[in-house]
This record gives sequence, structure tokens and C-alpha cells, in this order.
Amino acid sequence: MSNKGEAVTSTVPLLAARDLVKAHGRTEALRGASVELRAGEILAVTGASGSGKSTLLHCLAGIVRPDAGSVTYGGERLDTLPEKRLSELRRSEFGVVFQFGQLIPELTALDNVALPLLLAGTSRRDAHAKAGEWLERFGVRGQADLRPGEMSGGQAQRTSLARALITGPKVVFADEPTGALDSLASEQVMTALVHTARESGTAVLLITHDAQVAAYADRELRLTDGTVAPLGVTA
Amino acid sequence: MRADLRMAWLLTRGSNRREWWRVGLTAAGAALATGFALAAVALAAVHGQYQVSVGAGLLDEPGTRSGVIVILLLLLVPVLGFLGQCARIGAVHRDRRLAGLRLAGATAWQVRRIAALETGLACLLGSVLATAVAVPVLLNLWEHPAAAAWTGMVLVTVGVPVLGATASALALRRVVASPLGRTRRVRPQSGRVPGLLFLGGALLLSVVALAAVAGISNGLPFSGGLYGSVPLVVAGGILAVGAGAVWLAGGTAQLMGLWFARRARTAATLIAAERLREDPWAAARTNAAVLLVTVVGTGFVGVRQVLLADLHGMRRAGSLGMDLTYYTTGLDLTAAAILVALAIILSGLAVGTAEALATRRRGLAAQTAAGVPHTVLSRALLLETALPLLPAVVLAGTGGMAIGAWYASVTTEYTTPDVPYVALLVPVAVYAACLLAAATSLPLLRRSVRPAELRYA
Amino acid sequence: MSTRHILLGLLAGGPSHGYDLKRRHDERFPQARPLAYGQVYTTLQRLVRDGLAQIEGTDSDGGPERTTYRSTDEGARELAAWAREIAPPAPFVTNEIFAKVVVSILADGDPDAYLRAQRAAHMERMRELTAVKTAKGADLATVLSADFALNHLDADLRWMTTTAARLTTLTAEVDAT
Repeated sequence: MSNKGEAVTSTVPLLAARDLVKAHGRTEALRGASVELRAGEILAVTGASGSGKSTLLHCLAGIVRPDAGSVTYGGERLDTLPEKRLSELRRSEFGVVFQFGQLIPELTALDNVALPLLLAGTSRRDAHAKAGEWLERFGVRGQADLRPGEMSGGQAQRTSLARALITGPKVVFADEPTGALDSLASEQVMTALVHTARESGTAVLLITHDAQVAAYADRELRLTDGTVAPLGVTA
Repeated sequence: MRADLRMAWLLTRGSNRREWWRVGLTAAGAALATGFALAAVALAAVHGQYQVSVGAGLLDEPGTRSGVIVILLLLLVPVLGFLGQCARIGAVHRDRRLAGLRLAGATAWQVRRIAALETGLACLLGSVLATAVAVPVLLNLWEHPAAAAWTGMVLVTVGVPVLGATASALALRRVVASPLGRTRRVRPQSGRVPGLLFLGGALLLSVVALAAVAGISNGLPFSGGLYGSVPLVVAGGILAVGAGAVWLAGGTAQLMGLWFARRARTAATLIAAERLREDPWAAARTNAAVLLVTVVGTGFVGVRQVLLADLHGMRRAGSLGMDLTYYTTGLDLTAAAILVALAIILSGLAVGTAEALATRRRGLAAQTAAGVPHTVLSRALLLETALPLLPAVVLAGTGGMAIGAWYASVTTEYTTPDVPYVALLVPVAVYAACLLAAATSLPLLRRSVRPAELRYA
Repeated sequence: MSTRHILLGLLAGGPSHGYDLKRRHDERFPQARPLAYGQVYTTLQRLVRDGLAQIEGTDSDGGPERTTYRSTDEGARELAAWAREIAPPAPFVTNEIFAKVVVSILADGDPDAYLRAQRAAHMERMRELTAVKTAKGADLATVLSADFALNHLDADLRWMTTTAARLTTLTAEVDAT
């Protein structure tokens, strides 16, 4: 392992999944996949389309329950938690970034980023102040009053990152965060994500089919047909 | 034309569940419209005195018959509103499909014809079903219906699908203009057009209804100088207040959206307010019919209370011409018609809310995945209905009350003038019913935020 | 890669001596294979022989004696012509990875395992380069040169992925002939 997050990487995994099985109708998306994510680690999950990448992320983030297997987060079994607690966990301990769709189209960038804080009961003014700082960190302060439809794809994704990170989550789940971006915008988004995650010691589970994006991670996990593929000789 | 018809049939047959919902609901709306229109036409074809076994004698005389015709025609207004809502089901999907047809090389006229035929077929289904029920009922009540009745019924059965097809062609004029479809993220400014259409339609229907009254009524039961002018004044008042309320709904929705968006303290209020600000006319469209029925309902309850007191007074004075039930049946029938209108409007509201949810389901699924609680999303959904409706219902209720109070002030012969406060319950009840109708889509919210929705790009 | 032309290019800015040229080369082309001083010296002598450069003079700031070179007019013309000339796009398809895959099929080896190991090595190198370019304070030249390599490695990777998926057909084809 040649990662740079060694200072914060512990041996006990923060998030672990064992032998996950999940079917969508008759197609089995996951057939016994196992994965471990350590605190502060950036892990890329790659694989062909249909290899079960997104389903793995949904199971790990507690968005869907696996048909079989277990998901453990900080010693707690996620696959058996009630939905209410899961939703709370996703709000406070996790952050999510998708290819698109996670920003509310009617809200301004500032309100979108402030939303997780509002949900946690922070006052609007304090939430705005903090959201402004986060927009600044991702270089989209100037777009604070724009709505997602009025921003470029890269600006919208950087706003999404700010929203995912504002609560100081332990894990950020990113599903093809650069899937709809050109290479320059993609580079800006990934650099922003990696820098912030390393500074704050946030672990990142990064789903991508793009090797150049996967190269931002410390480690790569390859999925083939719903299982973890052997990686060959690891350095 | 044959090719277009085949295309329309193929598209209808191969469509998904949501499309079938639209076809089903459109057919149901068309059946209702046909039913009301057929009854009105059949009644209009009757001339002179008869003994009719239904309606407690109200259908026996030309004067009261014309009143029933007016009510039947006015019932077409909420039905039209309902049909308008049905057209919105799957609108985004249909826009894309039609744009796809254009990209594949269809001309604008072909696409328009195909879409019109789709709607026309659904309306035809509804109107044929309604006619199939109406004809035996008519033959049962009237041994030898007049030729005019038959002609009118044929015209209605054919006219409803034709009108439906024309309306859908009109509604699609923007979509078919560009093979790339309408750009969805452009700020919608089209809200006024359906609102105007709706108002125009309502006005036209009211004029027709009033003309019918003027034409046929020469023997109104309440035909003193005062009673004779009542329907005209009431109808005028209703229209004025209703139209005011439509514009109020749209205007205040935008203002309230702006105001609340700036001051919202909770996530639910913020989301609801920003959605209102973004598209205030969506709310106005849905609310127009609610407001009309609130005015009519409040006014009616007020008038009913005063009239009943008046009738009891007349009976005590011995000046009542007919049995009391003759008058109360008329009132009950009117009440039933208003309730039917309310039911149609509420189902339209429920359909509209459900459709708004279905259109946004991927975004909602993403919110849920990000941990936004269900309660926040449900609350935002209800607030979206509740906020713009409040000032409009208040105004409509006030208007209705004014009608009732005015009627009470002029009916002084047998009763002491008294403001009919019971009528105030009507706007409150309508408001609650609207919230309940919007709440019917909450289970749909739970279903549409399944993470499976995240999979579709 | 033409060292001659790169040195001519560096001289275009003004007279310079060998050591300075080497330093500027390594600075201007980060992550490239560093120039050996001996190579700089022999290349400069050849440029002088061909009339593309000439000796400006020698100085010795107290240290060892250093020769300063400058570009000639002919050198400037040659440089302009070279910079305009397009690089031939992949004239020969020589690919070590492809050769190894075919050879391991011929020798009954395990091409699939080889491709996986090669893929892992490529990814490791890509992570290194990405770390270099995302390091705080990385200048644009570093970012661009890392990007150049990353894009080529990425192209290799994509080729390896599709090849791995088609190994069975390839094996049948190679074995049949």
C-alpha cells in the first residue's frame, strides 16, 4: 500500500460488508461481495456497467438492505437497523454524491448546501454562514445564489460535494460523481474531493468506471459479475 | 390518416402503466362529461308539462327543468378541470416521446394528429360507455323520446371525443414545434394559458347556461320580480369572485413563495416555498376549480339557510304554493351537484399532486438517499398545496358569505335578516378536504423514493 | 524525441551554457527522462558542426571554464521547420503488452493473469502520477505532463480491459494458425 492517508488509517475497518447478495427482480446484482473501508481511506470501486457497483454502494450506505450478508459500520449492523435510524445515520455520518439529482432544483446553491444543517435544526442564518464557507472551499462561492439548472455541471457537482461534506461525515459515498463531466471539470471535482477528504480524515467510497478517476483513490476494488475480482499482483 | 391512427394505437398499446392511468382517467372524465351533457340535452328536448317519475316533480315543469339543466351544464366545469389534470399525467414522458417522433422524421402535423387521436380514442371510449348506459335509462323513463333528444345525444357522443382531440392538439402546440422537445428547465410561463382557457371555458358555459335559463324559464316557481333575478345575480357574483380568486391564487403563490423562501426556518417550508416561487401558476391551475366550488358552496349554504327560514315562515303564514318537499328537493339536488363537483375537483387535485410527485421521483429518491427524512418531504408536499390555497379560499369564502349575507338582507318579508354564519364552515371544510386529497399521494411518495429510482439516469 | 531540437528551442531564448541547458530542460519537462550532461555536450558539438549553433564565448566565474552557445539564423529556421512539422501518428503498431499476450498464448502461459498484473501495475503508476499532480503547489507544467502520461496509461488500460474480455477468441485464433 502506498497511500498517503496512513496517519489516519487504522487496522479496524470503519465500514465492512461480508458476502453481500442482492437481486433486482431476477438479475443478481451482487453475489457474495465483501469489502472493507478503513477510516480516512479513499477506496475506488471499479468494474464494467452492470457489475453491481451502484448496488454495492447502496448496500454500504444503508440505502437498500442486502438479501444476504452483513454490513457493519463502527461495530453496528446496518442491515438490520430500522429505516428511521438509517436515515439519521445517512444525514449525520454519511454524505452522498451521485452523478446528478441530489441537488433540489428549486433551491439556490446556498440553500442546497445549508439543507443538511437545517434538517439537523441549525438556524437558517448559521446554516447559511457555514454553507457559504463550504462553497468558498469548493470555489463556487460566486454561484451561491444560482439554482442547479443555472450552473455548469462541474459547479453543480462541487456544490453537491459541499452539501455532502458540510455535516463533517465519516464516510462520503460518491457514485460516478464525474460521470457527466468533461475531463477538466472532472479533475477539479476530484481534486476538491480528495483534498477535503484528506484534510478532514473522511473516508470515501468512490464508484467509477473511469481509471483516471479511480487513480485518485488509495486503493482499488474491482467488481466482476457481482463479486470482487482478483486484482493481480498488488504492489 | 390510417398510418397516424395505427401509430396512435401502437403507442397506446405499448405504453406503460402511467399512460394507462391517463387513458383510464381521461375515459372516466369523458364519460362524466358525456353523462352530464346527455342528461342536459335530453331534458332540453322536453317541452311542456309531464309527470316524470324521478326528481320529486322538479323535472315536471319547464321552469324547474331549466334550473336542473343549468346545474348539469355547470357541472361540466369541474369535469373539464379534471380532464385537464388527466392530460398532465405522464406529460414529461409524452413530451419526450413526441419529440422522438419528430426526430424520427414525423412532421409537426403528423405528431399533432397522432397525439390528438390518442386522446380522442380515450374520450371516445368514455363517451360510448356513457351513451350505452344513458340510452336504456332514457328509454325507461321516456317511451318515445323526441327526435331532438336523439339528435342532441348523437351530437354529444361524437362531440366529446372531437373536443378532447382538439384540446390535446392545442395543448401540444409548443411541444411539437421542436424535435428536441420543450426545454424543461426553462422557467415555466405557460401557466396563464391554461388558466385563461379554463376561465374562458367557464365563462362560455355560464353564458350558455344563462341563455338556457332565459330561453326556457317562463314559469320559475320563485318567479316574483325578486326571485327571477336571483339566478342571474348569483351566477354573476360567482363568476366575478371565482375569476378574482384564480388570479389571486397565482399572484399570491408567487409572493408567498418569495416571502417564505426568505424567512423559512425549516427545510420543509423552504422546499415548498421555493417550489411555489418557481412555478406559481401550477398551483393556480389546480386551485381555480377549488375556488369556484368554494364560492358556490359557501354561497349556496348561506342562501339555503335563509331560504329555508323564509319557506318555513311562508308556510306558517300559509302562503306556500306547493308542498315544502318540492322546494327542499330542489335544494338537495343542488347540494348534491355541488358535492359531485367538489368530488371531481378533489380527485383532480389528487391526480395533479400524484403526477407532480411522479415527475420528480428521481430527485426525491436522491434526497431520501442523502438522509432527508420522509416527514420533511411529506410536509413540503402538503405545504405546497396548503400555502397558496389559504388566501384564495379565504377570499372565495368571503365572496360566498357576501352572497349569502346579501340574500339574507333582501329576504325580509317572512324572516328577520340574519347573517348565515353556518356557511363559514364550507371554506374550512373545503380547505381540509383539499389537504386530504393532497395527502392521498403520500403513500405514493413512500413508493417513489425507493432507491431503485436512483438507477435510472 | 529530438534532443537537438529541444536544445535549439532552449537556446532560442538567448545564449546559454551546457549545464544551464540541462537544468532548464529538466525544469521545463518534468517527469520526462532527465538529460545526461554528456548527451547535452555531444549534441551541442553536433549543432555547431552542422552550423545550427555557434560558440558565443567562454567564461569561468572563478570555477571551471564554461562554454556558452548561441543559436544561428539557420538554427532558428531549422527549429521553426521542426516545430511546424506534424509528428507521424503511430506509424508502426508496436506494443509490448500485446506482444506478451500473444507470446503467452503461444507458450501456453496465462495471458489473463499477465493482463491482471499489468493492469495493477498501470493503476499503481496512475495513482503515483495523480498524487504528483494533485499535490499542493504543483505547477501547471507538472500537471500537464502527468496528464499526458495518465491519458496514455488510461488508453492502455482500456485496451487491456477489452482484450481480457476477448481472450478466448484470441486464443482460438492464435492457436489455429
